[in-house]
Order: sequence, then C-alpha cells, then structure tokens
Amino acid sequence: MTRRGGLAPIAWLAVLLYALFLVYPLCRSLFLSFTDRNPLKADSTFVGLSNYLDMLDDPRLLATLRFTLLVVVAVTVVANVFGLAFALLLNRNTANYRVMRTLIFIPQVLSGVIVAFIWRSILTQNGLLNAALAQVDARPVAWLGSTDLATVSICAVVSWMTIAFATVVYSAALRTVPPELYEAARVDGAGALERFRAVTLPMIAPGMTINVVLCLITTFKLYDVIAVLTGGGPANTTQSTAYYLLEVAFTQNLFGYSSAIAMLLLALTAGIAYTVTFLLRKREARL
Amino acid sequence: MIRRLHTGFAWLATLLFCLPIYLALVNAFKDQRQILANPAAPPAPFTLGNLTRALQRPDLLVQAGLINSVVVTAASVLILVPLSSALSFYISERTPRVKAALLAMFALGLMVPPQVVLLPIVGLLQTVGLQHTYTGLILANVGGGYLSFAVFVYVGFLRGVPREVIEAARVDGAGDLRVWWQVVFPMVRPATATVAIFLGLWVWNDFLNPLFILGPLKGQTITTGVYLSVGTYSTDYGQLFGIMFLAAIIPVVGYLVSQREFIHGLMSGASK
Repeated sequence: MTRRGGLAPIAWLAVLLYALFLVYPLCRSLFLSFTDRNPLKADSTFVGLSNYLDMLDDPRLLATLRFTLLVVVAVTVVANVFGLAFALLLNRNTANYRVMRTLIFIPQVLSGVIVAFIWRSILTQNGLLNAALAQVDARPVAWLGSTDLATVSICAVVSWMTIAFATVVYSAALRTVPPELYEAARVDGAGALERFRAVTLPMIAPGMTINVVLCLITTFKLYDVIAVLTGGGPANTTQSTAYYLLEVAFTQNLFGYSSAIAMLLLALTAGIAYTVTFLLRKREARL
Repeated sequence: MIRRLHTGFAWLATLLFCLPIYLALVNAFKDQRQILANPAAPPAPFTLGNLTRALQRPDLLVQAGLINSVVVTAASVLILVPLSSALSFYISERTPRVKAALLAMFALGLMVPPQVVLLPIVGLLQTVGLQHTYTGLILANVGGGYLSFAVFVYVGFLRGVPREVIEAARVDGAGDLRVWWQVVFPMVRPATATVAIFLGLWVWNDFLNPLFILGPLKGQTITTGVYLSVGTYSTDYGQLFGIMFLAAIIPVVGYLVSQREFIHGLMSGASK
C-alpha cells in the first residue's frame, strides 16, 4: 500500500472550493434560468423556457449582443494586427528595444478601472483632448457623448489594453523562430514579404492561437472599462451583454431572466472560443 | 543608417502608444490650471499637492484601499499557490482517465465569464454569512477561475519534471506530502513565479468580485475604491491623477522589478 501522506486531503480541499465557487454557481445559474426567481418575492416557480423565449423579444438584449460582437471582432482584429506589427518592429535584442518592450506592456499592468479613468479624462467633454483642440481653435468633439463615437472610443481603449498583451505574446513567439530559417530563406532568394509568409507566420502560429482566443474570452466579459468610460451610455448604446446581465440581476432584481442571459453569454463565449481554437489549430497543422 | 532610422521609428511608435500613461504621470504633478492649459507639458513647476490632497481625504480612500488590496491579494495568492501546486501534483499522479476528467473540469474556469457565476456566489456567501467580508472575497478568489489558471500552469510544468526524481524520493520512504513539499515544490519554482505574479496582478486589479462581494458599505480595495469615489468629481483632474498615481504605483513598480519573470511566464504560455 502506498502512503498517501496527506496530499489527497489538500487536493480535495482545492476541488471542494472549486466546486463551491465555480461548479455550483454554474449549475445554480442554469437552474435559476428556468425559474422566475426574484429576491423581492418569497417563492419562485419553475417557468420552463419562458426566460429564454423572453430574450427573443428583448430589443435591449439584442442591442447589447450586437454591440458586444462588434467590440469583440474589432478588438480581436485590431489588437492582433497592431500587436504583431509592434512585435515585428521591436524584434531586436538590444537594450533600447528591451526598454521599449517593457513600456509597451504597462497598459496590461494597470487595472481596467485606471486605464478607463485615464482615457476618460482624455476623452470626456471638457477633457484633455478637447482642451488641446481648443488651443488650436478647433471645436470640442463629444468622444464619449455621441452614440457612434462612444462605441469607437470603447473599441479604441480596449484595443489599446489588448495590443499591449498581444505585442508581448507575439514578441515571445518571434523569439522561438530560429535565425537559420531566415538565412535559409534568404539564400533561396525569398524577399522580406515572402520570408514573413513562409517562415514567420507558421512559426508564430501557436502564439497567434493563444492571442486570438484570449482576446475573444477577455473581450466577451468586458465590464469595468464600460462602467467607467460611458456607464453604458449614451442611451444604452455601449452596454455589453455582460454589463446588461448584471443590471438585470442587481438593479431590476430579475434573477431568473439574468441567469438565462448568463447562459447565453457562456454558450457564446465557449462556442466561439472552441470553434476558433479548433480552426486555428487546424491552420497551425497545415502551415 | 537604416538601423538608426528603424530605432527612431520604433521609439516614436512606442512613445505614441504610451502617451496616455505619460499624460497620467506628468499631470499627477501639475495643478488644475497647468493641466488644462497644456496637458502634455512636463510638470514645471512641480507640485506634490495632488498627492498630499489624495492622502488627506477624510474617507482615507487611498490608505484604506491600499491596505485592503494588500491583504486580499496576499491572502489569495498565499493560499492559491500551495493549494494549486499540491492539487496539480496530485492530478499529474492520477491515471490518464481521472487526470483528463479533472483537467476538463478545471478548464471550465478558464472560460466562464465571471458575470455568469457572480449572482450565485453572492447568494452562497449570503447563506453562510460571509457576504460583505474579506474572508468571503478571498474564498471566492481561491475557488474561482484563478485556481484553473494556476492548475494549468503547474500541470504543464510538471510534464517536464523527470519521473525518476519523484520515484527516487518515494523509494526513500517519503510520503506524498513530503515528496510534494521537499522535492516537487522546489523544482516547480519557475511555475510558482508565473502563478504568483499573474494571480497577484489579477487579484489586485479585479473589479467585479470586490465590487459585488464587499459591497458599497464595506471598505473597498484600491481598484473599486477609485471607481466608487472618484466618479463624483471627474473634472478635478489634479485630484484624479493624484489618486490614480498612488493606486497604480505598486503594480507598476512590481512589474518593473519582476519583468523578467513576467515575460518568462508569457513565453512559456505562448510556446505551449
């Protein structure tokens, strides 16, 4: 008989905590989504799929889904394109470039709240950007106050944070490319663009998969940047689904309905993340 | 020549990207009039007024927030590191089938948006009388998605640890607990650095859990404290940048000091 020596109790304590604070809440959310639970009412009843059917006639929910998908796609594309471009630009190993790579990551070290406050003081109506515009006698712009610009501003700020992350992951991936491969391609007469396509892209494909998937997952749960930057406004146009779900739960007290939205958000995040991982892994194998 | 041009362009792009950070930094040391007259100018004359005003607030936002953040972050990380490394060692010793099942369960935590589980967590903490307590917040941190992240880092790292070392310790008669503590834990030190650094940063910067678990009545962490009390006077930029400077200084300095481990952690993640 092997001596367990007390490791199993620690391991199962961890599993127990995880079961209590992740697995159980997940199951509880699923269960609540089939009820009309409301903390202001004493009892709740089972309502079948009616919360899910309600989602179909909720124009605000549909608006949040459209906004969320727009931000997720925009941020994923922008962050990966600029992150890779930055990583290529900074891909040298001298002191200068190490300092630059250190600086680029700082937006990721700051909390979303701080990042959003910095940007709010820049973009708000009497903020720094409009103060600078006034110096050259330009009219102030409602960067956060008009519906279209507010959406663009949110995308820009979240992209800014995400570019910082993407740049460092791509930089790390670029360092795994053996210099001999570039030499070989050069000898074969490949131009810069051809070397990028034939050597760099295949070698950094795993880094790209990580970047894209993490970018999708983090942007789907976007909350703090919106809360600080626009509070969901103007006219609820910058509410993400994750933001709306908490408003339905804690302001409107509709626990059942908010749980149904939570299940939709989970299905969307998991579905898209798994599909993209699968497609990118297949692409990795092909490259 | 081309090299110099390239370096110049790289610096230009980097500084442009970091412009918002520069603005937040210099304006923390300028008064309101200087800030609005020329936001991008360096802080001359230099003032510490914003910082002293931030520290003299009657609600002690900065001091209380920093202490609460340090306590919550330290407790969460100090519990998560031994718990997750022991769990990961235990998982890596199981049969392939059990191992796959456990890992599949922990993979969930990497995927689930925190908003999805927040309401039941608050309900659970209310039932056991831990809602609005630091203990409740720390427990929710330890049992949530952070544990999943730590498990995946450790299990990944343990794949590279030679079996013979562990078996040799077993032959010498050491129990699993001793093997883990005296043999495995020292060997996975790089993974521990990654886990501690990233979890520390994430717990420190976390917004949702402290906001909804501690609630507006309880002393906040620095991250949610800034959110709850700064919103009211957003036009006082001197004060705003002063508070943000004090709130950001610990994670930024921590990053600059430990950036080698930071990058190493990201690299091991990216090459997997």
